[in-house]
Amino acid sequence: MKKNGRLGGRLLIGLCFLFLYLPIFLLIIFSFNAGNSSAVWQGFSLKWYGDLLENRLIMEAVATTLLVSLLATAISTVAGTFAAIGLYSLGRRRREVLLTVNNIPMMNADIVTGVSMCLFFVAFFGLWGGFAEWFNAQQSFLELPTRLTMGMGTLLLAHIAFDIPYVILNVGPRLRQMDKNLVDAAMDLGCTWMQAFWKVILPEIKPGIVSGALIAFTMSVDDFVISYFTAGSSTQTLAMAIYGMTKKRVTPVVNAVSTILFLVVLAVLVINNVREARLERQRELIAAGQPVRQSPIVEKVSQTLSSPKGKYIRWGGAFAATAVFLVTVISLTAFTSSQPVVNVCSWGEYIDTDLIDQFEEETGIRVNYQTTDSNETLYSLLKSGGADYDVVVPSDYMISQLLEEDMLEELDYDNIPNFDLIDDRFKYLPYDPENKYTVPYTWGTVGIIYNSTMVDEEIDSWSCLYDDKYAGKVLLIGNSRDAFGIALKYLGYSMNTTDENEIREAYELVADANRRGVFQGKVMDEVFQTMEGGNAAIATYYAGDYLTMLENNEDLAFAWPKEGTNWFVDAMCVLKDAPHKEEAEAWINFIASTDANLANMDFIWYASPNKEALEMYPEWYEEQYDEPLDEEIYNIIAAPQEVLDRCEMYVCLPPETRALYNELWVQLGI
Amino acid sequence: MKNKLSWLSIPFTIWMAIFVVVPILIMAVYSVTSADGLVTGENFVGMGDYAVVFVRSFWLAILATLVCLLIGYPVAYMMAKEGQGFQRVAMALIMLPMWMNFLLRTYSWMSILENNGLLNQLFRSIGLISLYNSVTGSNIEYFQLLRTPGAVVLGMVYNYLPFMILPIYSVILKLDNSLLEAAQDLGANSVNVFRKVILPLSLPGVLSGVTMVFVPSVSTFAISRLLGGGTQMMLGDLIENQFLGGAYNPHLGAAISMVMMVIVVVCMVVMNHFGEGEEQAVML
Repeated sequence: MKKNGRLGGRLLIGLCFLFLYLPIFLLIIFSFNAGNSSAVWQGFSLKWYGDLLENRLIMEAVATTLLVSLLATAISTVAGTFAAIGLYSLGRRRREVLLTVNNIPMMNADIVTGVSMCLFFVAFFGLWGGFAEWFNAQQSFLELPTRLTMGMGTLLLAHIAFDIPYVILNVGPRLRQMDKNLVDAAMDLGCTWMQAFWKVILPEIKPGIVSGALIAFTMSVDDFVISYFTAGSSTQTLAMAIYGMTKKRVTPVVNAVSTILFLVVLAVLVINNVREARLERQRELIAAGQPVRQSPIVEKVSQTLSSPKGKYIRWGGAFAATAVFLVTVISLTAFTSSQPVVNVCSWGEYIDTDLIDQFEEETGIRVNYQTTDSNETLYSLLKSGGADYDVVVPSDYMISQLLEEDMLEELDYDNIPNFDLIDDRFKYLPYDPENKYTVPYTWGTVGIIYNSTMVDEEIDSWSCLYDDKYAGKVLLIGNSRDAFGIALKYLGYSMNTTDENEIREAYELVADANRRGVFQGKVMDEVFQTMEGGNAAIATYYAGDYLTMLENNEDLAFAWPKEGTNWFVDAMCVLKDAPHKEEAEAWINFIASTDANLANMDFIWYASPNKEALEMYPEWYEEQYDEPLDEEIYNIIAAPQEVLDRCEMYVCLPPETRALYNELWVQLGI
Repeated sequence: MKNKLSWLSIPFTIWMAIFVVVPILIMAVYSVTSADGLVTGENFVGMGDYAVVFVRSFWLAILATLVCLLIGYPVAYMMAKEGQGFQRVAMALIMLPMWMNFLLRTYSWMSILENNGLLNQLFRSIGLISLYNSVTGSNIEYFQLLRTPGAVVLGMVYNYLPFMILPIYSVILKLDNSLLEAAQDLGANSVNVFRKVILPLSLPGVLSGVTMVFVPSVSTFAISRLLGGGTQMMLGDLIENQFLGGAYNPHLGAAISMVMMVIVVVCMVVMNHFGEGEEQAVML
């Protein structure tokens, strides 16, 4: 009976582990995929591990993540434990109030916590600036910095702030189980509070502390939203980098780095467990009265440590560790500040990272390269004052919005001679009619991607998106502008219309198809794995990304609908009052060069605005890969002019129209 | 019943005042102002339109919490009964998957649940789908698993299950075995021992676990978008949409999150009240 129960228990735990580890195994398997898909297996390869070693952005992000998460966990575990002890020593009413406040960071949507922290830091920096100026004017011994910026420090504070509640919630129940009189008794008997803590409380609550620390670490490692708004422009964690990739796709390099981290942690666990098991056996031996065999060195060390002198050694060790740590952190910051720097914010997987190294070597300017996932996230970051980037790479309509709000700086084109290489078709575009602010980065088109095994007609119109024939097999593009823009185009209206009736008509078209169950769901970058795996028939996405999908599923086809579609330009701009304007212009000039454009075009598969690069690409491709570039593929990347003539570029909509879009989009989701 | 360590709560209170209360006040100010900086109540007026989203979010979060509790409690209980070495490993292994990036894990789940995903392939190969077709007379090629409310609940359970297991486990570990023996000696059968002794005594852990699962579930956003296919909007998405959507209306976003917060706080206070009362009743 008892044996049976135990077996059942193990079975249950086993099932639970299967549930927890199934996706992890899949994720590890795909880190060895020869292709770049996370859905289609193309054979075994260590390619992504090789790429990882060369990917400075990800390696730096890993280092930052570990540093911030470990520090935040350590600090919040200690602070949270003491706070919990304090809280549980209070009367019940006050404790309940404080515990409720404690839960707030947990119950707040991440984005709200992030933005409010950001606003808070910005407000504090403002106050500090005023104080420092006043202070510096009063005396001359000490020069306080007047301009504080967000970075590692604010990131750490934010992480500690959202970690502490979890620690308290884990330590709390153990404290509640504990007899409170024990502490009082110990202290009445002459223990200091520290002694009472070490000897009475700690042994009782240890499991709670451990689980609190584990959960705090998890929260820290996983967070990206709050980090976005508190990390400033030069710090990026791994989770932020990965989320930034979702504008395009998450590369398997991330699977590779996760696999390595996973294995390292697993190894540490195993070693630790073997060690603990050995210690336990020794304890049992001691209990059984048998002599314990210990290596002489271990004995010596443990003797010294537990002797009275050992106290100094212990303190010395702790002090040295702290000192080493502080010096590392400080030198890290000092290193970045002594060199000329440019802070760039772009999209994930949107640059051949070799270019960054090349630029740094050529100019000696350090590039802090951050990524976000959408124009709107970028806008929100800039609006909250959370980041002082120099260069950003927004899309056309966002550029006009930033210009309208006077957030961009005029460029000095004398410093950007490579601007002359840009094709005239991509100069003086509606978002920047006098071309005083921008240098184009890439351009491309949106089209229909469909699986030819599931569609047996020639696709040449948006109508298929709303067709009952494909019920449950159509993927709607996951943002309001594109989803309604396409519907408008299908109805024969302009994608930029501000006429409420036209927009509502477009909404009705989409909503009606939605009610009839035509859409399988709204997707952004998930479109890659869903289409590659043959799970949906029709989707709309960018032409360049179609080619990535084609590599993993040959059945996929691409079409520009006859009604016309959207074409976009992403362009580099410098933000108003950017602290490193000259460096920013050097960067823009470098990226606008033909070589950089060729490298980027090859990496992203979006078209280059550089005339030379665009024309040279097929030739360059043949040289690089020893095989000719399929003309059809080239045409999909760089849409021919007659297709562009049918296309429309988004312009910035007036606020009322944007609000209407948003309202309708939310309605669609309800 | 104050005791000598209550001063330890002072630094924490100050910390909270700075890093929790002040940012919340900033958000509260946002929620009652408009973009022009004028005081307005209009952000709250239209809230009724989102009632569906509120109900759905709370419903799915409650469901996920219940599932977590139903799986998590027995697992925690069984774990606590195992040997020390086993426990140490199990505890770490439960947390380890959560250290892999959230998005990667979710993408993995997507490829498991897709129409041609692992699960549907498994169902097909063991003949479950043809069995279903012959029983119901339908003609399906796959079960629609992904992009359903069920997938959202699964995602939440997956992400927050460890948060349920750990606190319950650490409380059960501490249970006094002599109490259980006493109950048995006094004639209680194993069901009664569990119901009258173990369950009430492990309640603090359960409450912590429920808080840590329920509270973040309500405001989760990426899970519902990825696994729910974006057609099942939840509060987290709605709020995110105000800050990171095309319309950029942080004032409305702040207002929605204020309302959400108030509801969650009420839920928590009620639950904790009920929980503490229960515990004291048992102690008496």
